Amino acid sequence: MTGVTRRDLIRTGAVGAALMGSSAFASPLDGPRQLPAHLDKGVFAAAVAELRAVVGADWVFADPESTLPYAKSSTPDPRHEHVPSGAVAPGTVEEVQAILKIANHYKLPLWTVSTGKNMGYGCATPASSGQMILDLKRMNRIIHIDAELGTALVEPGVTYQDLHDYLEANNLPFWLDVPTVGPIVSPVGNTLERGVGYTPYGDHFFMQCGMEVVLADGTLVRTGMGSVQNSTTWQAFKWGYGPYVDGIFTQSNFGVVTKLGFWLMPKPPAFKPFMVRHNAMGDVAKIVDAMRPFRMSNLIPNVVLMMGAAYQIAMFHRREELWDKPESIPEEVVRSFARKHGLGMWNTYFALYGTDEIIAAIEPIVRRAFEASGGEVLTEKEMGGNLWFEHHKNLMSGQLTLEEKGIMRWRGGGMVCFAPVAPAKGIETQQQTELAKEILGRYGFDYSVAYAIGGRELHHLIFIQYDKEDPAEEKKADDCIREMITRFGARGWASYRTGVNTMDLVAQQYGEANRALNARLKQALDPNHILSPGKQGIA
Amino acid sequence: MHGRAGSVRLAGALFALGVVSGAPVSAETPAPPPRPPEAVYAKTCGYCHGQHVAPVIRGRAIPAEMTQAIVRRGQRAMPAFRPTEISNAELKALALWLKASKADPKEHDQ
Repeated sequence: MTGVTRRDLIRTGAVGAALMGSSAFASPLDGPRQLPAHLDKGVFAAAVAELRAVVGADWVFADPESTLPYAKSSTPDPRHEHVPSGAVAPGTVEEVQAILKIANHYKLPLWTVSTGKNMGYGCATPASSGQMILDLKRMNRIIHIDAELGTALVEPGVTYQDLHDYLEANNLPFWLDVPTVGPIVSPVGNTLERGVGYTPYGDHFFMQCGMEVVLADGTLVRTGMGSVQNSTTWQAFKWGYGPYVDGIFTQSNFGVVTKLGFWLMPKPPAFKPFMVRHNAMGDVAKIVDAMRPFRMSNLIPNVVLMMGAAYQIAMFHRREELWDKPESIPEEVVRSFARKHGLGMWNTYFALYGTDEIIAAIEPIVRRAFEASGGEVLTEKEMGGNLWFEHHKNLMSGQLTLEEKGIMRWRGGGMVCFAPVAPAKGIETQQQTELAKEILGRYGFDYSVAYAIGGRELHHLIFIQYDKEDPAEEKKADDCIREMITRFGARGWASYRTGVNTMDLVAQQYGEANRALNARLKQALDPNHILSPGKQGIA
Repeated sequence: MHGRAGSVRLAGALFALGVVSGAPVSAETPAPPPRPPEAVYAKTCGYCHGQHVAPVIRGRAIPAEMTQAIVRRGQRAMPAFRPTEISNAELKALALWLKASKADPKEHDQ
């Protein structure tokens, strides 16, 4: 029984005592809460009183005890730069508007979250300390599902679980496309972060259609066809008329998105999952070059996952089962453990969808190409019952799972994701793999990765796993990701998304003209800078 | 299918006015009824605990206070869950249910 130990009991006892009263935290840095630097206590208290009048006392969290869950994050924060001041949780659009009015008056910075489970990127914590979390979880209505068009319109607090339950209860023949933490996260939050899933609808922002946004001054805007009076096409046509603006509300702080539309995949008559097993780390280039034409032509239609062995092992096993030294695990140790569980050094999961006839026609073509790359092409026949195969089969058919969360236990709860984009060219993915291994190796971290393969690029998802409770390890993880961002950046490889601790660093790589444009948009739309300052490096 | 058609119409009306005043709203949104502990466990905890990912927690008579503290602050690799996700009433009931629960032989450690 490794989970709840005597040490945990003692530690929880200490936390329990701390929860009894805020005086237990002698310094703000000891606790989960920090006030905004520019507001004195009295002004903050006045703002909190007004917020309570809007949402009710139960939905404003402004003391150390109630702020505790908002401060929890697996990303490194060695200098305590991401500590919230509290949280406010509206239940309606009108309450959001009233909150923004108060925030403008007091210059209270608000960090918006949908479900606050941005795993590996900071969860609910803000880009700078003192921001109050604008927690939209209570806005959890599934507003409309169009069963003929296969579209959804939902609020930010709706989880994939809620949507899944709704589709089941109403016997609607659609599949969701879920990220790896589907049950507890929201389609709105994930889409706005431009996250991905693993069916043919895996590029979530591509499948998004229409949104409703509250701007900082309270203006309510609907994008696309949603602002046409009596519109019946809001979730049917993305582009609307005139400039297309949905993009500026993703990975940004230009407004608060209160409704989001997106498309649902019709359940296919037939589905066949595959795994391709390659046994050498150096096979990465061959796999990417074999995959590229199939993704470009859409013969393989889903977002493919090419999973490194160490990442796969970490889902269901602990590091000490393989290796008891602080240095990175040698490749041979990983390979040997992986082999015992039916895994290779790279395990590539894709699926075919359609009818039995379509799948039968495509399978031999795909099989030949991957066999020529040196891989073993495996199906349910060989891999059925294998924990990893079953997991990816579930992901590729839109089923809910949290199994990949297991990787956070590898080294004591700390995990931060570095996510550079690579072009879908074998040589460059090989170079990225080599550079990542070199840097991680110097810090003693393991090369624990997944490549998510889109049409012409890959997200190289590199997970730095560390002991969050050891300050030296936390500092090391922070140093490591900064070095990775900087050195990958020097090669022209930048992140598609990053954690709260490195948002400014990554923004620098996208150049001054880009930053200045964002700054001008921000100044026009939110002149008091109350919405999520620091998000993606936008002040 | 049309859970809140009313709210869509209201939002449309507000948009037609252009800038919305942001006047304080009087009615607080009522809290939904609490979900039973079995449902909270199945749709949140049970995805990891006992599913090869996190330790088995059923049938171990874990003190209710400990469950409540761990859920709210997160335990090492475990995320924290806020009252907006699991209400105080739901959490209290979940902690008592978990303490009294029997082990499920179908669950696995890590």
